Amino acid sequence: MPAPAATAPGPVPWMRGLMEVKPLPMTPLVPDTIAQTNATFFSTQQMATLRRLGEILQPAYKGYPNATEAGAPEFLDFLIGASPEDRKHLYQSGLDRLDSEAQQHFQKPFAEVDAAQADQLIRPWLRAWMNEHPPTEPYELFINMAHNDIRAATVNSEPWSEAARKAGQPTPNVDLYWYPIDPDLHREAASLAHPSMNQTLKN
Amino acid sequence: MAEEIVDVLIIGSGHSGGMAAKVLTEKGISCLMLNAGPVTDPRKDTEVKPAYALPYRGFMQPGQLPHVFQASEFNANTWVDEKEVPYTTDPNQPYNWVRVRLFGGRSLFWSRQSFRLSDYEFKAKSHDGYGDDWPISLADVAPYYSRVEQIFRVSGHIDNLPQYPDGNFVPDNSPWTGCMQRFVDAGKRKGVPVCKARSSQGVDGLASSVNLLLPDAFATGKLRAIPNVVVRQLSVDKNTGLVNEAHFVDRISRREMSVKARVVVLAAGTLESTRLLLNSHLANSSGVMGHYLIDQIYGAGIQCSVPEARDGKSNSQLMGGSALIPRFRNIDSKAPNFLRGYALNVFSGTGGMDPRNFAAYGVELQKKLESYHGSGFSAGIMGEVLARYENHVRINKDVVDAWDIPVLHIDTKYTDNEFNMARDAVDTASELAEAAGFEILAKNYKPNPPGYSIHELGTCRMGNDPKTSVLNKWSQSHDIKNLFVVDGSSFVSSGWQNPTITLTTLSMRASEYLAEQMRLGNV
Repeated sequence: MPAPAATAPGPVPWMRGLMEVKPLPMTPLVPDTIAQTNATFFSTQQMATLRRLGEILQPAYKGYPNATEAGAPEFLDFLIGASPEDRKHLYQSGLDRLDSEAQQHFQKPFAEVDAAQADQLIRPWLRAWMNEHPPTEPYELFINMAHNDIRAATVNSEPWSEAARKAGQPTPNVDLYWYPIDPDLHREAASLAHPSMNQTLKN
Repeated sequence: MAEEIVDVLIIGSGHSGGMAAKVLTEKGISCLMLNAGPVTDPRKDTEVKPAYALPYRGFMQPGQLPHVFQASEFNANTWVDEKEVPYTTDPNQPYNWVRVRLFGGRSLFWSRQSFRLSDYEFKAKSHDGYGDDWPISLADVAPYYSRVEQIFRVSGHIDNLPQYPDGNFVPDNSPWTGCMQRFVDAGKRKGVPVCKARSSQGVDGLASSVNLLLPDAFATGKLRAIPNVVVRQLSVDKNTGLVNEAHFVDRISRREMSVKARVVVLAAGTLESTRLLLNSHLANSSGVMGHYLIDQIYGAGIQCSVPEARDGKSNSQLMGGSALIPRFRNIDSKAPNFLRGYALNVFSGTGGMDPRNFAAYGVELQKKLESYHGSGFSAGIMGEVLARYENHVRINKDVVDAWDIPVLHIDTKYTDNEFNMARDAVDTASELAEAAGFEILAKNYKPNPPGYSIHELGTCRMGNDPKTSVLNKWSQSHDIKNLFVVDGSSFVSSGWQNPTITLTTLSMRASEYLAEQMRLGNV
């Protein structure tokens, strides 16, 4: 004798009909296809610097979108704003320094420098590096890490994939995604909600 | 409900626990296996997706898994979350503890490199005077290696090098690609052997406990397994001093439970087995438990391009393939500033280059990436870390995990021996690459943090003297004869070799010994 199905306070069982239509006949949309990310973390000036930096480092090429067209600056505003303090500081101080160097050398904000002027400010800091071992000097790290992040945010965007499709190329960065396998258990006790790593032992 | 006493309780389900279960159940011994995480079904738990459809566009959630460099947003849910199971370190001595608690453990995800240790590792002290010899030699282990290599279907080439012992291989007589042949020839000119790597083929591409070992154990009808239970403590019979009970907690509901056993086999992974024993205050009359934590240096290496493969000229005759340079330092001569040695993993790629290898941006970078496509060549170190008493783990009573189990404090660091070895590896790889006519795009001399290799070993080292070792040569506790530790904890030295095949082989050997001792009534 099967257990009785859960029922609504009415004559029809709540779950009725779902098994028959599984899977649900819909194609989910990635929001970036149609919606803009609201930028809220960087200051207006930092955001303008980041947009210009994106256009310089990752311009449109052979039908592929540039960083701005891929929504990379707004995505990075979200990502960096959700990141640990050291990453926030790296970006904020780096963008501020880039802008102040533009003022110092060309008497205008970085957002208004031309390509040749931008090259003078960026190229001395570019390094060839290997995974997990970026440069360690903070400003050098910022330039190279921002370059890496702007490029990844552009290539990993929906508009880039759409451009690849139009060019008859495969979608980049397709891989096996693992869903949460079962719920993680985090302690609710306040003292242990965020256990501090790298804690030095007492005594 | 009547309380049952299980014959053998196996804690952990990876390669070492899986091998113990296979050996013991095939000899008719009933086993119960406990695993700290869930059973995964990749058909249900995975989906092929583009990065743009992930919540963080392929960047991973900020702050998640800061010590798992191997993690990506695609696989982030497979690793142990260090907020759930923390560990502590000195801020200046970070450690990357990379863990999987899914059923099958890290055997689900590994590189398949399958190298025997040689007597340059088992008898290292006899060779160079440093550290300790293992209580076993290659001759003791070789027959077991052969059987494990057969199960794992290890492909390899017979090279007749004493530091790179041959095995029971699926023959790999494939020709070198053009770029690899040039590298091999450059090695010959400089006295550096460039060999074929040895790799577990497994079955259907998978070489895991869950498909190579556990099915045989379940087929006997003698294995039962419980997922999602976290063992917090072992306890002993006060009269006999033998371990007789495991106390565990249900991972989801937090219900506390216990099970009685005649024998306990620990296979929870090097540091988790040690953590459990330290939390249980057992088997440490020597005082060396937790000490001699070792691993291998990774991360130092070079990225190159093969000029002849650029501008659309890359093809499968010229590019692709891999090679392995086994340890060649401190075999017949002595390196000036480090002991022991390293291997180099060598790869050739036929796909896109890593843009980080170019100090260029914009259209210039795009054109470089197009020109260099399919011309990649790289070499990276796998180096021995010396066993040192001071590199150790201990219980940190001030921090507990999600089930109130005290965590480990990991206190370890590299020294000049490792840094000098890394420098030599990068310089040697560079010399060979230049001699082969390759362009070096990027170099890195700095090893990744300790732990990164996921080859943590030691902390319950084996030895003949109960005063200086935790386990005997059969991976059996000196103190408690019905307690065995069959994972990488028993290692006396790390060598440069990926340890999976060795620890699985030692688990087979220990389990057969255990079965015989049970038959004789000694355990």
